Amino acid sequence: MREKLKHIFAHALMNLVRAGWGGLASIATIGTSFLIIGIFLLLVLQLNALVAKWREQFRLSVFLEDRITQTQLEILEKRIQNEAAVKSIAFTSKEEALANFRRELKDQESLLEGLGDNPLPASFQLKIREGYQSPDALRRLSAFLARLEGVEDIQYGQEWIERISNAAHIMKALGIIIGSILTLGSALIVSNTIRLAVYARAGEIEIMRLVGATKAYIRAPFLVEGMLQGSLGALLALGVLFAAYRYIAATSGLASPLFSIATDRGFLEPSMMAALVGGGALIGAIGSSLSVSRFLKT
Amino acid sequence: MIQMYHVYKTYGKDLEALVDVSLHVQKGEFVFLAGSSGAGKSTLLRLIFRDELPTSGQILVNGRNLVRMKPRAVPHLRRMLGIVFQDFKLLRDRTVEDNLALVTRVVGMPGPEGRRRVAQLLKLVGLSHKANMPPYKLSGGEQQRVAIARGLMNDPLILLADEPTGNLDPELAVDVTRLLLEINSRGTTVLVATHDLKLAEEAGRRTVFLKKGRIVEEWP
Repeated sequence: MREKLKHIFAHALMNLVRAGWGGLASIATIGTSFLIIGIFLLLVLQLNALVAKWREQFRLSVFLEDRITQTQLEILEKRIQNEAAVKSIAFTSKEEALANFRRELKDQESLLEGLGDNPLPASFQLKIREGYQSPDALRRLSAFLARLEGVEDIQYGQEWIERISNAAHIMKALGIIIGSILTLGSALIVSNTIRLAVYARAGEIEIMRLVGATKAYIRAPFLVEGMLQGSLGALLALGVLFAAYRYIAATSGLASPLFSIATDRGFLEPSMMAALVGGGALIGAIGSSLSVSRFLKT
Repeated sequence: MIQMYHVYKTYGKDLEALVDVSLHVQKGEFVFLAGSSGAGKSTLLRLIFRDELPTSGQILVNGRNLVRMKPRAVPHLRRMLGIVFQDFKLLRDRTVEDNLALVTRVVGMPGPEGRRRVAQLLKLVGLSHKANMPPYKLSGGEQQRVAIARGLMNDPLILLADEPTGNLDPELAVDVTRLLLEINSRGTTVLVATHDLKLAEEAGRRTVFLKKGRIVEEWP
């Protein structure tokens, strides 16, 4: 067993070194493909994190008529509370609204001086359950709320959360399509590199077959070589991506609002990095199998 | 040891390499397959080590039916066989010793046992003193002896040799034939394809003549 492992890795490394520029080209190609895949992955993750955060913070405001009575208010609160879509409800009185407004304006309170009577309406702030945040559901809910007695107006800024969410979906689809094409290309490049390695060792392979080597024995070193190329390529991509990510996150003020959300989560999750490296190894293995299988008939 | 029943091998549509060949080789026998090039000698050997399958007919080697044999059983068949070619098929980039040691690794023979076996066979073919040389520095006859030693590494039941003397001068050819006879005297069944009728005649062993894929004559 130890002998076999030694054989497999010694030959895999020897082939990789012998492959020289071809091997490096293979690794670089996989690296480039995985870099692009990684960029998409990172963008999608950031956008998803952003959307998740906004969804969490999302509030629907129900503004109330000034002439609403206390009884009406209590009935209204009950009715709203009983809605399945509503997670929680909070009341803001006219006075609280004004106080909030003052706080937000801070140094420019003079602007309020001319107002005289408090023009701000009382309101309910509703947290909406995740499943009810789609534009359709919100439209239905707000139409229903608008018809209730004592309700002046409904406000929510959902459209642009949806837009970002859609952008994330499109980005994901695009990433999958481009990633698949690049992955296929990488597998072919590895396949080509391994084919050269197979031809370089054609004589040895022939002898091994004649003296009773199993297919697996002949195939294993090439498989490992392909997997090495693939995983090294993926590691290279992760390294470049990480450096670029840190650089952009640190220097670009433009990107920081977008990045800040995910930067506290750091870079890609370790499981994702492992998946990328594993994916690289898998692509290398597939590329290698393509070549070796064609060569080994019996 | 080897039984062939009505074996046909046709390439493409109408290239008949073997036609209705029935051949039986007993355990411990030494048999020459004689014929000019293209007579079907190599094809017959390739069928025995199952590099190819017959178009029709049955082949049994040591009681195992090659036609019905699963591909993954083929390596184990080949470990019962030693195979030697006209062009030696030695690896130039490693020493004589390492050429033999390749077999021990392939079949998973432990290191010490493998080294013992390599030394033993180099001694048998009289090349112990050239163990560390690359094959291309050896004469043709010596190279063929290395190839024969490699063929014996698995202690095969049958040694198949395809024109083993085809690249050698007459004196060296006699040497190599003598070595094959010696191996046979130790109990290994030997099947040698050759176009050199004189060599077969001098050896005085059973000789099967192939012509255009058919067995046409047999000595004695």
